[in-house]
Amino acid sequence: MIRVEHLSKRYREIVAVDDLSFTVDEGEILGFLGPNGAGKSTTMRIITGYMPPSAGRVEVAGFDVFEHPLEFKRRLGYLPEHPPLYPDLTVREHLGFVADLKGVPRRKRRTEIDRVAELTRIGDVLKRRIGNLSKGYRQRVGLGQALLASPPVLVLDEPTVGLDPSQIMEIRELIKSLGGEHTILLSTHILAEVAMICRKVLIINQGRAVAFDDLETLAENHEESGRSLTLEEIFLKLTAA
Amino acid sequence: MKRTLAIARKEIIAYFTTPIAYVVFAAITVLGSWFFLSLLGQFQRHSFELTRMGRDDMLAHMNLTDQVMVPLVMNLALVLMMSVPFLSMRLLSEEKRQGTMELLLTTPVRPLEIVAGKYIAALAILTTALALTLSYPLLLSAFGSGDQGAVEWPTVLCGYLGLFLLGASAMAVGMFISSLTSSQIVAAFLTLMLLLLTWVVGWKAVDVEGAAREVLLYLSSTQHLISFANGMVELKDVVYYVSYMVLGLFLTHRALEGLRWAA
Ligand SMILES: Nc1ncnc2c1ncn2[C@@H]1O[C@H](COP(=O)(O)OP(=O)(O)OP(=O)(O)O)[C@@H](O)[C@H]1O
Ligand SMILES: [Mg+2]
Repeated sequence: MIRVEHLSKRYREIVAVDDLSFTVDEGEILGFLGPNGAGKSTTMRIITGYMPPSAGRVEVAGFDVFEHPLEFKRRLGYLPEHPPLYPDLTVREHLGFVADLKGVPRRKRRTEIDRVAELTRIGDVLKRRIGNLSKGYRQRVGLGQALLASPPVLVLDEPTVGLDPSQIMEIRELIKSLGGEHTILLSTHILAEVAMICRKVLIINQGRAVAFDDLETLAENHEESGRSLTLEEIFLKLTAA
Repeated sequence: MKRTLAIARKEIIAYFTTPIAYVVFAAITVLGSWFFLSLLGQFQRHSFELTRMGRDDMLAHMNLTDQVMVPLVMNLALVLMMSVPFLSMRLLSEEKRQGTMELLLTTPVRPLEIVAGKYIAALAILTTALALTLSYPLLLSAFGSGDQGAVEWPTVLCGYLGLFLLGASAMAVGMFISSLTSSQIVAAFLTLMLLLLTWVVGWKAVDVEGAAREVLLYLSSTQHLISFANGMVELKDVVYYVSYMVLGLFLTHRALEGLRWAA
């Protein structure tokens, strides 16, 4: 569903992403890990068509961003690192606007908004102005907007940041349940989250892939003194350089 | 089209919640009324003196359209030029500042639809502001009497068409400037400076002669309003405003496309 080939991105002198290649199969949830500044958000911005890469190409459901930008974007739901929301609008107005942008038919708009509001538990703030919401609620509205129109591919940049413990559990369950139906690329710093939601991970360091494997295979390949390392130990080892 | 209208609607909501639209409406009404009342006062004094001196021949040339509405249109142009930068400043700079450009550029919307939606919203506010000032000729036609008091509506509406074109071209330029910066203040200031420049460039015309004079007058934005204000639609004036409009819209579109490459 997502195919990334030899992707590179330079910001003037900084190389943020360096010759990165990977694929995410249909229905799969890929955990995307890496230390701060590794290039996760940059990769996601390129995959969603927000930024062009310096080199390489990205395909979503067989569509290239440059050749078919609209077909490509129609299949994508994106939760950026900082949820892009209009502070002056109410949650319902905002979601209605995004639904229009995504081409949700007028008569289905209301039910679609109520559906994602139910999923992300924002039903009780639909009438509130976004500027007055707490960070956790904004994060949830951001996730809700990514889910509008049920795009087959979801790109979620640290979706559980800023949520309270019970919300973290709920949103994790939600994301897990979305797998299968949706193809998901999920970045996070919480390794336990990856172990809980994903079967496969991609770990990058300084823009380069250092691991791209099933969690089980990864554990088998990293053994020390007869015991397989935890994901945390593997992460620290691979990103130490 | 649906997406264009959705963007336009969102933009109009923002105009009223910010609440820049109300501020601009109020400013235009206050300044417009001041100009209107002083022109009307002048007209009264003038007619009164001519009557007292018994100059019926000159009195016959006095009428509300030429002595009040034509200069009022020119005065309103000034108010409009001062207001447009504040209506155009947030159009794109605010999307950049609050990061919502990331939303617009990753949903299936064409840059052209973004530009069109925002421009339509801005023009809707501009049109409303102009419509408010139509109360002056309406007042005149309600209370004026006789030949002198009659308002020549074709002339007045022609003047308003000119004002709309002037405002629309200024708005397109302002929108482009707003796409260059994430600061609304910078966008407003630069737009205001640019509009003032296109205004005052005509003043220099008195010092020069020949082709240079023609060029300076052609560049002056208010020079092109004079014919409109006097009830004449001339092709060269329409071309002038429309070319500014097209240029502004085209550059905004380019800037939106280019934004992603520059990031
Ligand atoms: N707009 C930008 N201009 C210049 N450099 C940038 C820009 N955005 C990101 N970078 C740089 O690119 C590198 C990768 O940043 P990125 O945000 O992709 O990292 P990340 O893996 O998402 O980090 P984090 O875990 O902290 O979110 C960093 O060195 C960052 O400073
Ligand atoms: Mg990041």
